[in-house]
Amino acid sequence: MADVTPKTETGGPGVFTQIRLVAGLRWRILRNLMRVRNSRLDIVGLIFAAIFASAFVIGLCWLFGWGAYFSVSKGRFDWFLLLFWSIGLFWQAFPLFVAGFGAPFEFRTLLRFPLRFSAFYLIGLAYGLADFAAVCGACWLLSIGVGVSLARLTLLPQVALVIVLFIWMNITLERLLSSWLERLLARRRTRELLFGVFILLSVSAQFLRPAIIHYTEGAHASVSLQRLVSYLSPLPPSLAGSAVIAAGEGQSLQFLTSVGALLIYIVILSALLWQRFAAQYRGEELSETSAPVTSVTYSSPSAMERKSDPFGFLSPQLGAILSKEIKYLVRNGFVLISLLMPPLLVLLFSSQFSGKHPSVTHTRIASDTFFPAMMGYLILMLMTPAYNCFAYESKGIRNYYTAPVRFREVLLAKNLMHAAILVFEIVVATTLLSIRVGLPSSPVLAATILALVFAVAGQFAIADWVALSFPRKLEYGSMRGQRGSGVSVWIAFGVQILLAGICTIILFAGRWTKNPWLPAEAFAALAVASLAGYFAALDSLSNVAEKKKEVLIETLSK
Amino acid sequence: MNEPAILTENLTRTFGALTAVDGINLSVTAGQFFGFLGPNGAGKSTTIKMLTGLLSPTSGRIRLLGMDFGADPVEVKRQIGVVPEGMGLFERLTGAEYLNFVGRMYGLDRETARRRSDELLHFMQLADRPKSVIADYSHGMQKKLALAAAVIHGPRILFLDEPFEGVDALAAGALKSLLARMTERGVTIFLTSHVLEIVERLCSHVAIIHKGRLVAQGSLDELRAGISSDDSSPRTLEQIFLSIVGQGGAARSQLEELSWLT
Repeated sequence: MADVTPKTETGGPGVFTQIRLVAGLRWRILRNLMRVRNSRLDIVGLIFAAIFASAFVIGLCWLFGWGAYFSVSKGRFDWFLLLFWSIGLFWQAFPLFVAGFGAPFEFRTLLRFPLRFSAFYLIGLAYGLADFAAVCGACWLLSIGVGVSLARLTLLPQVALVIVLFIWMNITLERLLSSWLERLLARRRTRELLFGVFILLSVSAQFLRPAIIHYTEGAHASVSLQRLVSYLSPLPPSLAGSAVIAAGEGQSLQFLTSVGALLIYIVILSALLWQRFAAQYRGEELSETSAPVTSVTYSSPSAMERKSDPFGFLSPQLGAILSKEIKYLVRNGFVLISLLMPPLLVLLFSSQFSGKHPSVTHTRIASDTFFPAMMGYLILMLMTPAYNCFAYESKGIRNYYTAPVRFREVLLAKNLMHAAILVFEIVVATTLLSIRVGLPSSPVLAATILALVFAVAGQFAIADWVALSFPRKLEYGSMRGQRGSGVSVWIAFGVQILLAGICTIILFAGRWTKNPWLPAEAFAALAVASLAGYFAALDSLSNVAEKKKEVLIETLSK
Repeated sequence: MNEPAILTENLTRTFGALTAVDGINLSVTAGQFFGFLGPNGAGKSTTIKMLTGLLSPTSGRIRLLGMDFGADPVEVKRQIGVVPEGMGLFERLTGAEYLNFVGRMYGLDRETARRRSDELLHFMQLADRPKSVIADYSHGMQKKLALAAAVIHGPRILFLDEPFEGVDALAAGALKSLLARMTERGVTIFLTSHVLEIVERLCSHVAIIHKGRLVAQGSLDELRAGISSDDSSPRTLEQIFLSIVGQGGAARSQLEELSWLT
């Protein structure tokens, strides 16, 4: 008779074995990802990003350590409030803004395995510690510990306790927020709406500083800060800061009260997180569900649209792709709303650096310098998506290969669409600038416009090649976890630096030679050359598209 | 002399050390309903991808309707319709918008594309959700839409990779009638499916690929005649398939080894 007894223990693997298995799984996913050629190139991009990130983390480690040392040695314990608040805010806000550096891994998928709830909870928490913001936060808090030890070693036990509790609180809070966010964002429409609101809030936040300066004019900055901090005292970063202040000033009761309050936060947040994870563990369904069928009378085509074809002057293929691109743009709430950002930021910069009362420079930057700089900034912001212009095609990319169309037409349609967006944004920004700071002199205006043509046409050919060679699928209508491939980001960065350098030298050449029209003449020649180069490159790019079709289809169809 | 609608000569595709398709020579006459069969990983989808321009062959030649695919891919693509593996739909368009898009990509004028889209949506029973984007469609609805998109320009050859997977019985019946009518009008249909009963019912000719090599090709009767039978009863396609691919008792003996499962 066959032996049917399981060879494993009756209770299955323990919690720590399960955590070890998941850690091994993540490592294998990352390792297998690196075997793909494009991903290996991505790793090169990531290495560069990691170098910058390390410099950022280490630099701030030093700053936080020095801040803690200075605060203790000078008896300025109130500074700890600022230190804990900056770390806490970064820890909670950063994950919302950027994708993690790690390999994509949905830890909820582990639910299919016989995982105990305790293991699921611990893995969920550990997942939070693997986040970039968490690593930064933990490093900076440890630096604070080191700074305190160097200044006054006797304070270390109390500060270490506060740091441990603060790390625990932040991980729990971050996981809780992520978990709720995941639930909220499970539906496409809610997701797009929330991201739109989020973008608007981010842009609005940029205007906070001018507003604060305006309303606190005359008051000392520290007084305003103290006033603000008093409202925030019941919150965890203030409690952590208060605990350190109390420890430094030898107020044991105050220290215990603050630590106790911090612990209460941890207990409450843990209970809420436990509840959320329990719902997930029970099999909460967050998948995209079909929209309910609405009974709408379907109009016959003859009655449906009698409008004239807006792209009638183009070939059917070009018109079809442009029409599709417009529909994709209009339905991608996140991208659509993000188009508001560049003109708004130009408006913000105009209040900071130019206009009647610049809040940062205090001296007005001349329109002849400010206008080209702002246009350069717009190109920098708006051209980056062109380097991954197939990002949202997903499996639909196959249509371009099965249809009887040369790929040059696909690229042309995509570039036309991008150029139309650029023109719209530039016109809006120019209108705003003309109201706020006035237009530059005619030679500079002409030179800037021609420089834009040169920079955009020149970049399209390179961007198309990069988009075909290093594609990266992006989730439509989503923001979290979105980034282009590492190589494309670095090429875009390099090309834009190069073009910005060329344009700056040519613009300044007009001043050095005292010939104001020289830059316009030079840019006119460059614009013609780059346009000619772009159209000449389209056929070669069609061949690249044919050669790269397998990578493109495979990457975008994942 | 009538040139075959689909002709491949030593068609080969390798992925590194793996030869997915190994020198296959296919010949499909115009107007045939042709079934292309094989076990998982045999090379069916790789072949269909090469025949539709989604994958470049490592070596060999493809001629469709007498035209060399490599020499004039755009003209060849104008004559064919495809339902690829995974369907390849633009999920953020509505069904009507997608069909219009595909129609225009195949060069139809705006009015014709719109009229045909409307007719196809009604035929596929997809017309009651004009405002839903494809991402909100069920799998079966997406499949029907992909089929509609494949025929909107009136192709002379239709390549269908698992076309009936996930399609309800009602729609499947209508689709089979449609495909049968198309072949009567001279359209060549090249179909892959794991459901052998469907292939047996629809297809007049069949090819079987196994481990990248073409192991059988011909009409169903020719394949039946080629298999020795102990009794006089006609062989089913499943029996022919298992006999040729040689998996007869393998699965059962493997299962017997997994004694701990029972």
